Amino acid sequence: MAKTLEHIPLSAPSAGGLRSLLAYSDMLRNFVRKDIQVRYQGAALGFLWSLINPLVMIGLYVFVFSDVFKSTLPNYPLYLMAGLLHWNLFSQITGQSCDTLLANAGLVKKIYFPRLLVPISSVVFNVVLWLLAIALLFILYPFLGGKLHPVLAAYPVVLLFFLAFTFGVTLILSVLNVLFRDLKHLVDVILLFLFWVTPIVYQYHRIPPHLRELFALSPLVDYVLIFRGILYSGQLPDWHILAMAVAWTVASLALGLFIFNRYADSLVERL
Amino acid sequence: MRSLPDEVVQVEHVSKDFILHHNRVDSLKGKVVGLFKDRWRTRHEHFHALSDVSFTVRRGEAIGLMGRNGSGKSTLLQVIAGILKPTSGRVITRGRVAPLIELGVGFHPELTGEENVYLNASLYGFRNKDVRTRFDDIVEFSELAHFIDTPVKNYSSGMYMRLAFAIAVHLEPDVLLADEILAVGDAAFQEKCHDRIASLRRNGMSIVLVSHNEQQVRDFCNSFVRLDGGRVVETGTFRTKTAHAG
Repeated sequence: MAKTLEHIPLSAPSAGGLRSLLAYSDMLRNFVRKDIQVRYQGAALGFLWSLINPLVMIGLYVFVFSDVFKSTLPNYPLYLMAGLLHWNLFSQITGQSCDTLLANAGLVKKIYFPRLLVPISSVVFNVVLWLLAIALLFILYPFLGGKLHPVLAAYPVVLLFFLAFTFGVTLILSVLNVLFRDLKHLVDVILLFLFWVTPIVYQYHRIPPHLRELFALSPLVDYVLIFRGILYSGQLPDWHILAMAVAWTVASLALGLFIFNRYADSLVERL
Repeated sequence: MRSLPDEVVQVEHVSKDFILHHNRVDSLKGKVVGLFKDRWRTRHEHFHALSDVSFTVRRGEAIGLMGRNGSGKSTLLQVIAGILKPTSGRVITRGRVAPLIELGVGFHPELTGEENVYLNASLYGFRNKDVRTRFDDIVEFSELAHFIDTPVKNYSSGMYMRLAFAIAVHLEPDVLLADEILAVGDAAFQEKCHDRIASLRRNGMSIVLVSHNEQQVRDFCNSFVRLDGGRVVETGTFRTKTAHAG
């Protein structure tokens, strides 16, 4: 028996860490593939639906802000997309994060696997759906008035930091929602609020000067300014915006991992 | 065959307390109101599901956990599987432990039989490439070759169980943790299940079987632990019938 199998401590209660996560990489792959397959099952346009929602949103905002409010900003569609697409990534992942543990309660209660895989697979699933939208942005980039700046090289690094920040938030919310089931309704409201206090559809310097410092405390304001700096203006914002973004990321990831590791095992009893 | 220490499962002084939440309030509103109003407050009660349970399962041994409903045997199985953490004490397992607590966990109705085989096996920590080498055996065992590419939502419950069982017994675990289930399907298929388990046992697989059916435990196990109220009240071995054990 067991001819070619490597030894995996399947249910060792202490099994954790990177090594055991790697052993489950195929589970992650199968899980994400399942979620995508099930989501677009029988839909004629399939995967393309993940593009239609952001495209409609962009079209509407461009109409409202360029034609109704007569914004004078050059290349407004690019300006908008640089902020909006990254906002979408954040809001889709966090909006779903509250439900991840509850939705997989049946699995978590019957089989032991590293619990971190539940939030990880939810994040990866949303990133995969989002890739189509961001790929479209880069394809259209020259036509929208984007220029090739050396700063573009910073994009992958900033994206990684942004994802790490979002992942930390996901971990915190997924645990808290088990303890307070109405958290997800609160999150929906907070997301709506955050969208409008983040300069995504409007310009940062339109915010009254005495409020700007306050707004800049928000990690989303920081990240939107950075993403738009890279993709629209061709220069990174002030160092204190960058520093805030890094600080938020470190804090969110550290707190998220701490809370998740501390409570994930005992949460099984409350699912 | 790998060299494993003889003791594949060691349960050492395991206790498990559950907190029973009477009038459980999980909403923020409820928690806030609960600060002022008694009626809204959750009352907590500690419930001792397991108290100081110890036993050892050796390689190739099959042990039956017996007891009435609520005696703690299923909780114990979940603790051994690593799903629940013991409140005190510890469990050491060696080798590949496959919990067969419920068949078809993680099956998605919209996916085909084949997709579910890979999905289900990966939940137990199997790499897709390892499943691929066993795939034909799994399909053959389940007798579902004709239906393996159709969604499992179209399966009858018997077909569903057969596929789930076929996956579980082809994972070649070192320890099988089973909750009542050791055979599924009609009489002929059940016979096949028993044969498969007997052959796995000859190769050194251990079994922890939870059951309240004394006859089932006698048929499969060579020793037993009887629980009552979360405590071990009796342990022993069966001398006589080990027909299925090979």
